[in-house]
Amino acid sequence: MTEVLRSAALFTPEIALTVGLLLVVLVDAFGAPWRNAVGRFLTVATLALALVLAVRLLPAGSHGASIFSGMAVVDPLGVFFKVLLLAASLLTVLLFTFRNSRELFGLGHGEFYALLIAVTLSNLLMAASNDIVMLYLSLEMVSITSYVMVAYMKGDRMSNEASLKYLLFGAVSTGAMLYGLSLLYGMTGTTSLPQIQEFLAGDLSAQSRKAVYLTTFLITAGFGFKVAAVPFHFWCPDVYQGAPTPVTAFLSVAPKAAGFAIMLRFFFGSLAQAGTGPWDLAGTIDWPQLLMVVSVLTMTVGNVAALTQTNMKRLLAYSSIAHAGYIMMGVVALSQNGARGMMIYLAAYLFMNLGAFLVVTLVHLQDGTFDLRDYAGLYRRAPLLTVAMGIFLLSLVGIPPFVGFMGKLYVFAAIVERGPEYWWYAVAGAVNAAIAAFYYFRIMKTMVIDAGNETKPAFPLAFADGAAVFLLAAANLLPLFFWSGIEGWARQSLTLYAGR
Amino acid sequence: MTAITLPHYLVVSAALFSLGMLGILTRRNAVNVLMGVELVLNSANLNLVAFSRFGPGNLNGQLFAVFVIVIAAAEVAVALAIVLTLYRLRRTPNLDEADILKG
Repeated sequence: MTEVLRSAALFTPEIALTVGLLLVVLVDAFGAPWRNAVGRFLTVATLALALVLAVRLLPAGSHGASIFSGMAVVDPLGVFFKVLLLAASLLTVLLFTFRNSRELFGLGHGEFYALLIAVTLSNLLMAASNDIVMLYLSLEMVSITSYVMVAYMKGDRMSNEASLKYLLFGAVSTGAMLYGLSLLYGMTGTTSLPQIQEFLAGDLSAQSRKAVYLTTFLITAGFGFKVAAVPFHFWCPDVYQGAPTPVTAFLSVAPKAAGFAIMLRFFFGSLAQAGTGPWDLAGTIDWPQLLMVVSVLTMTVGNVAALTQTNMKRLLAYSSIAHAGYIMMGVVALSQNGARGMMIYLAAYLFMNLGAFLVVTLVHLQDGTFDLRDYAGLYRRAPLLTVAMGIFLLSLVGIPPFVGFMGKLYVFAAIVERGPEYWWYAVAGAVNAAIAAFYYFRIMKTMVIDAGNETKPAFPLAFADGAAVFLLAAANLLPLFFWSGIEGWARQSLTLYAGR
Repeated sequence: MTAITLPHYLVVSAALFSLGMLGILTRRNAVNVLMGVELVLNSANLNLVAFSRFGPGNLNGQLFAVFVIVIAAAEVAVALAIVLTLYRLRRTPNLDEADILKG
C-alpha cells in the first residue's frame, strides 16, 4: 500500500490525464449544446495541468525512482519526454480546431478530445516504462487509440482504409515484437529492463548471445512500426494521407517521440551499459549495427520516395519517414551525446512538422485541396502564410539558423565523434539531407515562382490561425537565443534510471 | 512415454507463430487475417506461460500473458469495428480491394 501511495505521488501527470479523460467523456454524454466548448476547455486545462505537474516532477525525479514495483520509472529522461509529449498534444488541440479543419467539420468533438487525451496518456506511460510488460502494454495502447483516431471520418473511405492498413501492419509488427519479448523473457527469466541488463552483462555463451541478438530483430519490428522505419514503414504514407490532417500532424510528432523514448529505454537501458563516453554493449550484442542499416535504409527510402509525390500529406509522410532515419542516428551513436541529439531533434521536429501540417490544413480549408500543383501562386494570394511555410520547410531541410539545423547538427556530431568507422554513416546522412532539400525546395518553388490560380479569390486568414502560424514560425527561430538553457536541460535529462 | 517439456511447448508455439504469419500474408478476407493475428499473439502467450512454468520460477510470464489476452481482445474489437465500417462503405471484406490509397 505504501508503495502504491509513494508511486501515485510520482504519477500525478498520468492521474490528471485519466481524470480529464473521464470528465471529457462525461461532459460529452450530456448532449447539451455547450458540451463542445466545455470539452475543448477541459482538454486544454487537463493537458496544461499535466504539463505543470510533469515539470514539477523534475526535482523529485532528478535521481530517478522506480514506481509501481519497477513497472515504470520517473527519471530526468522520462520527465523530458513527458513535457515534450504533453506539449505536442497541447499544441495539437490549440492549433487545429474543428473550425479550421475542413475534414473534422461537423464531426463529434467529445470523442476526438477523449481519444487525444487517451493517446497522450499512453504516450506518457510509454516514455516511462521500465518493464517489458509495461513496454508492450503502452505501445499497444498508443496503437489501438491511434487506429480509432485515424478512422475518425466515419463516412470517408480513405480514412477507414488508412485505419485498416495501420491496424494490420500494427498487429503484425507488434505481434512479432511480442513473440520476441516472450523469447527474451524465456532466456533472461525476467521482465524488468534493468534485470535483463544485469543478466546480459553476466557470463553468456556465444550461443545465447546469438539467440538474444536474433530476438532483437523481432523486437525491432515493433519499434520500427512505431517510428515508421523501413521496412515497417508501409503504413505511413497511406495513414498520413487518409487520416484527418490534425490527426496526421499529431501522429507524426507525438507517438514518434514516444517510440524513440521507448527505444532509448530498451536499447540503452537493457542492451547497453551506461558510461560517460560511448556506452558499452551489454553482453556484446551488436544491435547498433542492425539499427544503422535500418536507419540508412529509412532515410534513403523516405527521401527518394518523397521526390515524386504530389499530394502534400503523402509527401510529408515520406519526409517524416526520412526524419525518423536521422533521429535513429542518435540511438546508433550509443552515447550521451547521441541521446541528447535525439531529444533536441525531436523537440525541434515538433515545431517544424506541426507548422507544415497547419499550413496544409489552412490551404485545404480555403481551397479544398492537398495537391502540390494547386499551391502554385500561393505567394501572391497569401504572402505571410507562404513565408511561414518557407520557414517550416527550411527548418525541415536543416538550414541554419532554424531549429531543424540544430537537431541535425547534434545527431551528426554524435555519429562523427564515434570514430572513422562511423564516418560513412554520417556521409550517408548528409547525402540524404541533400536529396531532401530538393523536394522541400520544390514546394517553395511551386508556391513562389510557379504561375497559376490567378483567378482564385484572395486568401482570408482568421486572426487565430494567422497568430498560430506566426507563433510556430517564431518557435522555429527563437530557441536559438535561449540555446544554452535548452541544451543544458537536454544534457541534465540524460540520466536513465538504472536500478531495480 | 516421455514427459512434456519446454521444447515441446516452444515447437508448438513456433508452429502457431508461423501459421499465423502465413495466414496474415496469404488471406484476402480481413476477418481471416485477424484470425492470423490472434494465432501470432497466442503463440507468444504459450511461450510466456511455458517459460514461466519451466523457467525461473516467477509468475511474470503468466501475468504478461493475461495482459496480452486483454490487449488482443481490445485490438480485435477495434479491428472488427473498422472492418465493419469499411464493409458498409465498400460492400466487401476483401483487403486487396481496399486500394484507393497508393502512390
